[in-house]
Amino acid sequence: MRTRRNRRTSLVAAGALLLAGLAPGLMAQSSPAQAADDDVTLTVAMLNDADSLNPFVGIEVTSYEMWALMYDYLITYSTKDLSIEPSLATSWETSDDGLTWTFDITDEATWSDGEPLTAADIAFTYNRIIDGGPEAATWGSYLGQVTEVTAPDDTTLVLTLKKPNSSLPLLPIPIVPEHIWKDIEEKDVKTYLNEPDGGTPPVGSGPFRLVEGSAGGSTYVFEQNPDYWQGASNLDRVVFRVYKSQDPMIQALIKGEVDFVDGINALQVKSLEGQEGITATNGNAPSFNEIAFNTGAIDLKTGEPMGDGNPAVQDQAFRHALGYAIDTEELLEKVYQGAGVAGSVIIPPAFTTWRWEPPADEAYTYDPEKAGELLDEAGYTMGDDGLRTMPDGSPIGTLRLAARSESPTSLNTMNFFQEWLADIGIEGEVVSMESNKLTNVILDGDFDAFEWGWYVDPDPTSMLSYMTTDQLGSWSDTWYSNPEYDALFEAQQVEMDQDARAEMVHEMQQILYEDAPYLVTAYDTIGEAFRSDRFACLVPQPDPGGVWLFQSGIYNYLNMQTAENADECAGEANATQASSPAENDDSMNTWVLVAIGVVFLAMLAGGGVMLARKRATEADRE
Amino acid sequence: MTVAAADPAAAAAEAAQPRRRRSGYGRYAGVKVLGALGSLLFMLVVNFFLFRVLPGDPARTLGRGRLSTPEQLEEFNRTYGLDQGLGEQFLTFLKNTLQGDLGYSILYHKNVSDILVERLWPTLLLVGGSTVLAAVIGIWLGIRAGWDRSSRFDRFTTGGSLTLYSMPEWWLGLLLIAAFAVGIGPLPGIFPTGGLHSVDVDPTSLQGVLDTLWHLVLPVTTLTLAYLADYALIMRSSLIDELRSDYLTTARAKGLRDARVRDKHAVPNALLPTTTVVSLNFGFVVAGAITVETVFSIPGLGLLTTEALAVPDYWLLQGIFMLSSATVIAANLGANLLYGWLDPRVRT
Repeated sequence: MRTRRNRRTSLVAAGALLLAGLAPGLMAQSSPAQAADDDVTLTVAMLNDADSLNPFVGIEVTSYEMWALMYDYLITYSTKDLSIEPSLATSWETSDDGLTWTFDITDEATWSDGEPLTAADIAFTYNRIIDGGPEAATWGSYLGQVTEVTAPDDTTLVLTLKKPNSSLPLLPIPIVPEHIWKDIEEKDVKTYLNEPDGGTPPVGSGPFRLVEGSAGGSTYVFEQNPDYWQGASNLDRVVFRVYKSQDPMIQALIKGEVDFVDGINALQVKSLEGQEGITATNGNAPSFNEIAFNTGAIDLKTGEPMGDGNPAVQDQAFRHALGYAIDTEELLEKVYQGAGVAGSVIIPPAFTTWRWEPPADEAYTYDPEKAGELLDEAGYTMGDDGLRTMPDGSPIGTLRLAARSESPTSLNTMNFFQEWLADIGIEGEVVSMESNKLTNVILDGDFDAFEWGWYVDPDPTSMLSYMTTDQLGSWSDTWYSNPEYDALFEAQQVEMDQDARAEMVHEMQQILYEDAPYLVTAYDTIGEAFRSDRFACLVPQPDPGGVWLFQSGIYNYLNMQTAENADECAGEANATQASSPAENDDSMNTWVLVAIGVVFLAMLAGGGVMLARKRATEADRE
Repeated sequence: MTVAAADPAAAAAEAAQPRRRRSGYGRYAGVKVLGALGSLLFMLVVNFFLFRVLPGDPARTLGRGRLSTPEQLEEFNRTYGLDQGLGEQFLTFLKNTLQGDLGYSILYHKNVSDILVERLWPTLLLVGGSTVLAAVIGIWLGIRAGWDRSSRFDRFTTGGSLTLYSMPEWWLGLLLIAAFAVGIGPLPGIFPTGGLHSVDVDPTSLQGVLDTLWHLVLPVTTLTLAYLADYALIMRSSLIDELRSDYLTTARAKGLRDARVRDKHAVPNALLPTTTVVSLNFGFVVAGAITVETVFSIPGLGLLTTEALAVPDYWLLQGIFMLSSATVIAANLGANLLYGWLDPRVRT
């Protein structure tokens, strides 16, 4: 047994440590405010860490955002509608046959170690991807049809193709320095971390340099590149902090510990809208959510039907009728809290060039009676028990409506869908499962319907490809196969005239809309909020109505201003304005801290006196 | 000991040894260590097969949006040895583990052992710190409450610690954040809302260490409050068991002060059950505290487990479970050895 005296001493020691702990806490508290005078730091709070800082390895959105700060790209995107704009490539031209692309490359870009960035670096990066291996996993699809990339001189880049590729020049691939990466062999790419080494950032050419941070870490610190060739950012530093739950993250914004929060939900946006000094929005994301059907899974080796999908949902007429049974407006209001846009086709509204708007006579409206009529016509007539039957009179059975267990949106959508099905005499049952399991169920063909969503590239090719026959067993999640659609897909891939291509893309969307392997429920939003008493001039993408950060491209990291300089973005119609600062009770904090310190000292002193007295009496006794 | 006793010659030889007691402890300890090694081996086997029966296919999960062709899927499976048979995978696993190679995380593209070391410290600080604090404070409260049973202090302590015990940890954490990190009314928000260190501070400097402690105040308080009842209640009831003992009457008859009777006579005897709980709980320290780590965004092992489960990242999960089961086994062994030393009766 330890003696009483020892215990008390250790308590005093612990108290001293705690008191000492107050000091740095105080300093850390006040430092962001002090730093704001000479050093502008944007602290971004988000819910996901970067899975890898190596651009050939990571797949998370967060990682993409960080590469965009570290590296340059051949092209960038407009904030307005995500159309392609020049970046490293200042201009480009295509040969008449579409098989040769020539890019003029800027001569102003340099690497952070002082080496110039030339067309040779770009050719090196692209050729590594074309060669296959781990580098191709993420980026290979963008260089489809490209057989060779050469750099005849420092400012010219030539791409040679075997077939025209209408997606070009969509090349959102981070350009890595040849003089560093040529020493990294293909077999080592997977394990190359590309992380700062003792404060030395990985060599990059972008507007910021990663000085601290690691895959799976909780803090990432980027310092400004003062010599950035497109002009240095107004931010001296960008710090990403990973929060693992939303509420504390929002508390941190209210308190001012962070300046920007990403990935909050519509209710939280609503609660932040009233806060002084904070501006919040539900930004339209280039994505959609859908109810998808099993249109007929087949064994790819034998071509025989596979799985246990309900025959009713394999019938186009049945699915098409269900299009009139879904009330997308109600979903938007009740499930998405009013944030977003009601769904229709698979290309989101932001991409005005490619999107096809269903005409009024064809658009699905919520009309259960019409759904019923269409089902009657197709032979799914109402039985005596109030349930519809198959055309041959056998019962349809219960449709399994799969929802992703980790998404409340998914569950709620399917619950509504179940009710709407019941209204027209079809039984459904919501089954909830993890998305991992759902992926397997889909690939095995053991499903009737599920709820999920996609992010859509600024170029429609990848999204359209998921519905082609080629993607069965791979990216197709409906087992949809339509030769007419496949032919149009091939044709639009090589059509170099944008108007002609857009027409084909529209036609493809129309086919999908009528065949209804997907019934698009909503175009979702991403909740974002920031301290508008500290920062201003954030331009949404798409403009208006889009997101402020985690865009395609890094417009706002380069162009946002501190609140004092808010007038410098007067030309931008939809840029955010500065708001008056929220009340700050720093003095109060310090005062209370002093009080706590005093009370603590008093307790220690009291304890000391008591200890002395106790020891005295014990000594007397013994 | 039973084995030794069955052989009269050996027993006699042992009895003749002047240091019989120590050799008895050595045998006891030997048996316990062997048992622990057995558990460790069994754990390795379970560990491997447990994660192979999880639903989900890492190639498909991680690939969504990336691995498009069957060739790439094959390549992925070959890279991670998933194309081999289960038996073959198991042999490779045993060989690598014995060589200290815990494999490679699919999720973070790093060696599992590196990730574990990175994530171990926050958890040790958080859960280890709160376990120590909760044990010390809980035992102290339990002694005071048990000694003055049914006093106002007893009722208050027991009621209070039970209330905290039944509160969800994440909720308590959120309340503390609202009150002490953001500030309500006159309360200032002096503590950070999450994370483990400030951006500007070098974590290895003295200021960095203090800064980390500052960040740990709220999460450690949350866990300490939640764990308190564990220790306070056990200590209280085992002390109450001792209250009527004759040796206490003897002690009092000697004229000792009440506090002295309690601290020198009653408490040492009542401490055994609490010792067990404390040492067993230390075994669970590395399992982390998922909810509190989530609320306070502390990059510990608890969070890592949830992240790894979502994929599932077999190698990372294996590493985490190996680490935590090994710790539990070690803590059990520690408790056994300590017990055998504290109380010679358990050695037979």
